[in-house]
Amino acid sequence: MSAPLLLLVYAVAAAAVAPLLSRGTWSDRSPRVGILVWQTLSATIIAGIVFAGVALAVPAMPFTSNLADFLRACVMTLQEQYSTPGGAIVTTAGALTAAAVAARTGFCLLAELLSAHRARRQQLQSLALLARRDSSGQFLVVEHADAAAYCLPGRRNEIVFTSAALGALDKDQQAAVLAHEMAHLRGRHHLILAAANAIHRAFPRVPAFRIARTELMRLVEMDADDRAAHSSSRLTVATAVVRLAEANPAPSAALGAGGASALARVRRLASPTVPLGVLRTALAVTAAAAMLVLPLTVAAAPAVSSAYAQTCPTGFPASA
Amino acid sequence: MHRLGQLESAIMERMWSYQGAAAVRDILEDIQRDREIAYMTVKTVMDTLNRKGLLVREQDGRAFRYRPTKTREQYAAAHMGEVLAGGSDRTATLLHFLEQIPADEVAQLRVVLDQAAQIKAQTQASE
Repeated sequence: MSAPLLLLVYAVAAAAVAPLLSRGTWSDRSPRVGILVWQTLSATIIAGIVFAGVALAVPAMPFTSNLADFLRACVMTLQEQYSTPGGAIVTTAGALTAAAVAARTGFCLLAELLSAHRARRQQLQSLALLARRDSSGQFLVVEHADAAAYCLPGRRNEIVFTSAALGALDKDQQAAVLAHEMAHLRGRHHLILAAANAIHRAFPRVPAFRIARTELMRLVEMDADDRAAHSSSRLTVATAVVRLAEANPAPSAALGAGGASALARVRRLASPTVPLGVLRTALAVTAAAAMLVLPLTVAAAPAVSSAYAQTCPTGFPASA
Repeated sequence: MHRLGQLESAIMERMWSYQGAAAVRDILEDIQRDREIAYMTVKTVMDTLNRKGLLVREQDGRAFRYRPTKTREQYAAAHMGEVLAGGSDRTATLLHFLEQIPADEVAQLRVVLDQAAQIKAQTQASE
């Protein structure tokens, strides 16, 4: 009983850490470390709950290389657990929780990926009719009065500029935007965001997932900014952000959600970078690794320890 | 763009430049000025475009006459509307360089950038 409880407490604690983690600017300093931490935090919360359910449903059974022994042990321990009404309820509740959480997460992820895929196919179809390829061959251009630059990830990675966006930027700034979008495509940022969206949609009431999604949306932009700044300069990327914002202000305050994030990006690009030190980076990566391994370890620990201790369930035939 | 996409695009381009309806043969003759192409190929693609809702067709004697459902401008506007409507729900579909920002916040961005540019100019001048 202690493993499920421990896992549940762990998952709740991990969820409670999210608001604290979102404070400060540590992740802005090293966006890629931030992305890793937020992804593993979301994963570990879900894994904690799922494994807590599994640990409730599946009592600790000894590992043995003999399959017949193992199956017999399974049947006996399960029989034992179901023999009391309380045990049966706990087992069923555990199994249902694990299955429901895992299924809901998987379903939402699939739905998210499918709808994005469909929307992208639609987009590509329209682009085939509307866009022309730039002479460099690197991006598509759509004649339009609104300034916009974006990438369409997928099997055919495409980067699209509107004619107004090209008009608002000089060559260096265009190259910076192009490098930013290429960084999105290379980093598979759309998958990071699809997962964050899906988890948030699956459990909309969990603040940790809402925070993780907001953080990840900001961090992938900052990561792409950093990579774009490698090939041009930080000030060029910042200028491109401001130029595009000026070329195409949102018609109403309600529509423009990107203000805070853009301001953070420009501030960050405008001042010299101070990436996280080696120590803090190592700490963050270790924490992320621990978050990946911990739920599984706790869930598996009773079974492993019972295998070592050779404490078999009652009535386990010694001769077999 | 793959070949079918190219042909669709070539046909829509011509349909948009036509005033009013056009038959498959009109489009065919137009394209044949540039390259060799079979009647059935053009017809098939135009029927596909009809199925996709880009062209409507009406019976005209023994053949069909086609016309675009939207002008090029309307079609582009609808497409860009989709793109710009984005918001946070669409982040997995396409990643914008920048979300749209209200004018007063844009002014804030400009202030931060100008300060940074000024500082850089000063440090370069002092060096």
